[in-house]
Amino acid sequence: MSDLKIENLVKNFQGMDRPAVNNVNLDINSGQLVAFLGPSGCGKTTILKMITGLFQPDNGNITLDNESLLPIPTEKRGVVMVFQNYLLFPYMNVNENVGFALKMKGVNKSIIDERVKEMLDLVKLPDIGLRKPKQLSGGQQQRVALARALIASPRLLLLDEPLSNLDAHLRDEMRELILTIQQKLNVTTIFVTHDQEEAVLLADKIALIFDGELQNFTSPKNYYEKPKNIKAAKFFGGVNFINADIVDNKIQSEIGFCEYQGDNIRDLNKKLFLTIRPENIKISKNNEFDHNSYQGKITSVIFSGTHTRYKINVNNVHLECSLQSVGIDNMKEDDQIFVHLPKDKIWGMND
Amino acid sequence: MGGERLKIVLSLTPPLLIIITLFFGGIFYGFLQSLGYQPAIGKYELNFSAYYNVMFSERYAKLFWSGLALNLWVSFASTFLAAVFALFGALAIRKTFVGKTLCNFIYSLNLPMPHLVVAVGMIFVFSQSGLLARLAAQIGMISSPGDFPVLVRDKYGFGIILAYIWKEAAFFFIILMSVLQSLGENFEELAQSLGANRWQRFRYVILPLVMPNLFSASIIVFAFSFGAYEVPALLGVIYPQMLPVMAFEFFLNPDLNARSEGMALSIIIALIVMILVVFYFWLTQAKIRKD
Ligand SMILES: Nc1ncnc2c1ncn2[C@@H]1O[C@H](COP(=O)(O)OP(=O)(O)OP(=O)(O)O)[C@@H](O)[C@H]1O
Ligand SMILES: [Mg+2]
Repeated sequence: MSDLKIENLVKNFQGMDRPAVNNVNLDINSGQLVAFLGPSGCGKTTILKMITGLFQPDNGNITLDNESLLPIPTEKRGVVMVFQNYLLFPYMNVNENVGFALKMKGVNKSIIDERVKEMLDLVKLPDIGLRKPKQLSGGQQQRVALARALIASPRLLLLDEPLSNLDAHLRDEMRELILTIQQKLNVTTIFVTHDQEEAVLLADKIALIFDGELQNFTSPKNYYEKPKNIKAAKFFGGVNFINADIVDNKIQSEIGFCEYQGDNIRDLNKKLFLTIRPENIKISKNNEFDHNSYQGKITSVIFSGTHTRYKINVNNVHLECSLQSVGIDNMKEDDQIFVHLPKDKIWGMND
Repeated sequence: MGGERLKIVLSLTPPLLIIITLFFGGIFYGFLQSLGYQPAIGKYELNFSAYYNVMFSERYAKLFWSGLALNLWVSFASTFLAAVFALFGALAIRKTFVGKTLCNFIYSLNLPMPHLVVAVGMIFVFSQSGLLARLAAQIGMISSPGDFPVLVRDKYGFGIILAYIWKEAAFFFIILMSVLQSLGENFEELAQSLGANRWQRFRYVILPLVMPNLFSASIIVFAFSFGAYEVPALLGVIYPQMLPVMAFEFFLNPDLNARSEGMALSIIIALIVMILVVFYFWLTQAKIRKD
């Protein structure tokens, strides 16, 4: 199978004052579906192009199954990239497009025909083989591009923003399809996105990249509950950040002493930040909590259907809390309340 | 709606009338002449004898058919070679600074250069008394300039072909550079990631992508070189003689009867070119319909 290892990868471009890709290290296991997530210009496509061989890295190594890819030319790597804008060959019909990779290998025509049919079935597009790309919808083009990439059984499949050109409901459908196909063929897959939700819905692991630097590489769940730094937390919708110090192995924050259970306590600096998801904060008019309970004042209440969002001022630190709208006793603006940050939900970060 | 359209038609009528009168009127009168209608020398009868004379009479048939063959050869060879040179040139330097500089150079220098000037340049450089011949003799590659191969005013039209390649390759080059520019490299990169090697990327990606533009440019160039007079007049030989030159010599003939033959020949050339243009429009239309 195909384990991908990226070591100390660096790429510089002329005219940029920082490396486009800066010392990235990643270990991707065979059969995994990994997302490269980050804002526009952070270097996602550049990394993909280095994996395919369309760009040569300035430093570092990329190995697939313990064999370096760098000396191998693109066309022999068995790494197939699906570009953001599909790029179906306009002068070929769907069958010819899908069969392209096998034709390049000199495979027998009858075998190509057979495989093309299989692939079109796989992407749930039978019976359109004779159409030209112009006669297809965006979603259909995307599927044809996927079929064309998969036909030669690539060792590694790279999808550059596979969903960003589709409208909302097509996106859901396509996401499902990618997931099913990826599981069925068990092909190691990297896809690029700048949509955090998409990454969470699809990926086994997410590589978060800012300004060419890998921030974190871990499961979607960890990004919500155990972010590595404030930037990562914010990218995943984190809003609550509290300054704190470690004093005598205890955490003393700007809103008071804080009990902490996180498994990273030893890695934390003396100065740190605490964070907690809005949905994990509890509030009450009475002090009914046995630890991490702080007094505060509600500064605003925003009802948004199933949930209600409270903004609370605790010792001049602004926290947000999101509660299910049903069954909460009515707390309103300017009420004095107690805020509870459960010790198993609060998380410390260095920066 | 109907009124609008009428207005447009009415406002277009005056210029259209002028164009129709001048252009088609001229052609029509020329056509009448080719049919033998020459009031100046008292001939009013219409027949096809001028056409027959040009193509089949003992006096002209050999000249006409050899000229037609030369015309086809020169136009095909120069168009094809110019396209090939331009394609490989453009592919080789499209990503370099040289490519952009060369493009600008051709835009500003070669395109406005009259064919006449290029033809004279050819004589200077390639004829047996030209620069290359003297240089070769000087450095002892040949014993005298007269041993230099006949590349200008030769019976195979090499000089003419060279001149056309020189001019037309620049035209192709500029068209190809802009097509390649607008295509970008994405298709090639994609093909490469799908396993296509260099040759396959050329054969299955670049060529089909540039072919429509290359083809229509070829038809324009072919039609032009088929009907143009000045380059073959300067660089050609007396026999075989390209058709436009032959037509022109009919007109130079003091015998007014030769007028009809000259016109008939001109109309034949125009017809061949016109068929090509119609074919060209049909092709582009077919392409638009397909898209
Ligand atoms: N061929 C190139 N030459 C010079 N600079 C480049 C080149 N390709 C990318 N860059 C620069 O490198 C940086 C990273 O680009 P990249 O395309 O990898 O971003 P990305 O994360 O894919 O962004 P997006 O989400 O917008 O596609 C950008 O600042 C870009 O301008
Ligand atoms: Mg990108």
